[in-house]
Amino acid sequence: MSPIILLRGIYAIWLREITRATRDRAQLIGGVSRPLIWLLILGVGLNPYFRGEVYGEVRFVIPYTYLQFLFPAVIVLNIMYTSIQFAVSVIWDREFGFLREVLVSPMPRPLILLGKVLGGSTIAMIHGGLVLILARFADVTLTLGQMFVALGLMFVLAFGLTSFGVLLAARVRSFEGFGVFSNTIILPLYFASSSVFPLDPALTRTQMVTAYPEWLVFLVQINPITYAVDALRGVLIGFNQFPPTYGWAVIAAMAVVFFLVALIDFSRS
Amino acid sequence: MSKRAPHRWRPAAINLMIVAALMSVLSFLPPDTSLSDRQRSGVLKLCVPQSFPPLVTGDPNAPGYDVELAGAVAEALGLRLTVNVLPSIGRDYNPRNWSLTRAQCDVVGGGVADTPQTRSFMQTIPTQARTGWVGISRTGALPPEGQTIAVLPGTSGMDRLALSGWLRQQRLRAQAVRGPAELNQALQSGAAAAAITERFVAAGLDLDPSAFQMFWLEGDTFASFPMALGVWKGDQTLSRAVGAALAELESSGALEHMRERYGVGSDLGANRS
Amino acid sequence: MNSAAIEVNNVSAAYGNKKALDAVTLVVPAGSSFALLGPNGAGKTTLINILCTLRRPDGGTAVVAGADVITRPTQARRSIGVVFQDSSLDDRLTAWENLEFHGLVYGMAARPRRAMIDSVLDLVELGDWTHEIVRSFSGGMRRRLEIARALLHEPKILFLDEPTVGLDAQTRQRIWQYLDRLRRERDLTVLTTTHYIEEVEGADIVCIIDHGKIIAQASPEALKREHGVRSLHVIPQDAAAAELIVQRFPEAHRLGAEGLVIPADQDAQTDAFLAEFRDRLSEVRFQPPTLESVFLSLTGRQLRDRTDGQRDADRAAGQRGGRR
Repeated sequence: MSPIILLRGIYAIWLREITRATRDRAQLIGGVSRPLIWLLILGVGLNPYFRGEVYGEVRFVIPYTYLQFLFPAVIVLNIMYTSIQFAVSVIWDREFGFLREVLVSPMPRPLILLGKVLGGSTIAMIHGGLVLILARFADVTLTLGQMFVALGLMFVLAFGLTSFGVLLAARVRSFEGFGVFSNTIILPLYFASSSVFPLDPALTRTQMVTAYPEWLVFLVQINPITYAVDALRGVLIGFNQFPPTYGWAVIAAMAVVFFLVALIDFSRS
Repeated sequence: MSKRAPHRWRPAAINLMIVAALMSVLSFLPPDTSLSDRQRSGVLKLCVPQSFPPLVTGDPNAPGYDVELAGAVAEALGLRLTVNVLPSIGRDYNPRNWSLTRAQCDVVGGGVADTPQTRSFMQTIPTQARTGWVGISRTGALPPEGQTIAVLPGTSGMDRLALSGWLRQQRLRAQAVRGPAELNQALQSGAAAAAITERFVAAGLDLDPSAFQMFWLEGDTFASFPMALGVWKGDQTLSRAVGAALAELESSGALEHMRERYGVGSDLGANRS
Repeated sequence: MNSAAIEVNNVSAAYGNKKALDAVTLVVPAGSSFALLGPNGAGKTTLINILCTLRRPDGGTAVVAGADVITRPTQARRSIGVVFQDSSLDDRLTAWENLEFHGLVYGMAARPRRAMIDSVLDLVELGDWTHEIVRSFSGGMRRRLEIARALLHEPKILFLDEPTVGLDAQTRQRIWQYLDRLRRERDLTVLTTTHYIEEVEGADIVCIIDHGKIIAQASPEALKREHGVRSLHVIPQDAAAAELIVQRFPEAHRLGAEGLVIPADQDAQTDAFLAEFRDRLSEVRFQPPTLESVFLSLTGRQLRDRTDGQRDADRAAGQRGGRR
């Protein structure tokens, strides 16, 4: 089939997802309510515990305020949720609904999944972009260039996470089950990613281990989300706990690897 | 029942705009009460060390760049400036022992360098003053090898070891002097071909600007430090207000004028009036 | 040039241990209206899924529009349109957007696509509703839209899986009228599955399937001729008479509140019955062979029990989610 025909198909699938997501006002608001709550309530509520009281003594030794530190992490959390939720809808579509109509068409299976994942990534990127409007609240200044790079990063991250979500969702039979499942995956991944509490980069590993238990330090260091959050922090507030290339490499690798595996899985069923 | 196609993206655009507007409105919420607290009390407390010329001099007629600047900011915010002089600052290596607390200080000045180390403890608002190693000589550059340089390290925590090592590398003989007067002497008499000291100290020297020129020392080890006012982390509304007031003063040229008077700007040409 | 639109050869399929299709063989001539008739669970949907390449057969081959569904599924898909049993429209989009999606997915270029969309919407008389959201459509309108959509890319074969389930009688009639017209106008091959016997009277070929096996395949007239049983519908005068009849003729069964149906294919038996009970009957009527009776005689069972209609209606209501 000629490339134009294939592109039309991918475009159609992508377009449908975007149309559905942007027409649903309730879903949009629900999507931004989570980062709103985290930032407004958690960030402001925890503020007194993280602000300086005495010079030289701060529980939280990095050159940024807690809200600034938290801001990129909140965006990543939002992308995680949006991506996984989207993945559920992909499986739902396939089993009960609309996707059957696409499956009997001449569109090749890999491209169907690609269109879907691209759509989901775009939606996650839009949601993340809406959260960027709150930057002023968190005292994060953004240039236009920073915004574009951040949006691009969000897109690639969402691409990987959506593919991962499709893999998960295909494994779970019921939807109630999936809700529980996703929460047991999303939240631990998120909390063990140096998102809410920083691992002081000035500490050596042995020092870190005295402050936090060994297993936690280990988890944080092998968790890919840690590096994703770190990369976004680097872009938005210019702070990296790990070498900056790690984050980008991890995000790119997740996108490629998870998509390929999801592809194989999707084509098989 | 319509045959005319509505614009397909209209509902989407409306939704996005509504949500974006909602987020914008929320982004203006104040995250803390620091500014309103100060406005209620009517006072802005500035903590400074006893002496750090030219940022803090102790002279009531020319109290120092940081003090005057803070005064202008307080006025812009409609507050009264109270200056707390804390002798403990700078006396100990460990900043914890300086007893700088939130109770005593809203803003800290007089030697706060705008570096990542400082930002680990406080938010910094740059004041456009700079310090670092400067050289003083008749030529405006360092003399050739073998010559003597008078060195006055100053009290700020800049890396003297690196400086002496570098001088040795340049094959220049370093001669330590004990105070500004000695340095002055050495230069005027010609015992030293040039002098190196900290910029703020240099500003206090009484040198003929037509005879001697100042220049920043170049080199990887010699970054110049921007100076700043320190505001506690978590006092976001206060720091935003102070930053805005400073920006206003900067654009009106008032700060430039102040810098020239105290000799603290990055531009070394204008020495002092 | 092959005149068979679809050829199915010895196809088998199973779900775990349960056999859904057992060595099914049939041929659908091009341009015909082919009805696959059987009760719920007979394997109709499984067969359709295999023919529209959603599922692979466990054994046997199937050739759809000249392409083998196992080796060349993509080519087969280009020539088929499918209307599923459960509505597969996107509720949140307009009719136009649903059709545009379909057109894009099948690779149609912009101008022919738009022209075709207008054309099929006019065909199913939904032109006035082009830009309404599908959620507001009734069941019958949705079906019509799905038929329009399936035709957008001008397929050679149209599959409809239980197209009239959950629809009222008038809408059902209308849909069959469309399908007939389409067949004639576009030289389409139409394959429908259904368990409504009355709807297949007009088909060219009826294929009866039960428990995954093909039982008979011929035109309705031929089936009635070969397997149809003339029956006698009587209303006894009283309950005692009814009791007696049932005792004497065990193959009689009840019809409605009072009536009885007795097979009347053997003249001798019929004469004997009439002779015996003539005075105790208030109404006597001969019924020509129906497909219902064909099914009964072939399988020994009724095609639909009374509860089927209610079950269908319930299901359709459930799918609508309680909305109207």
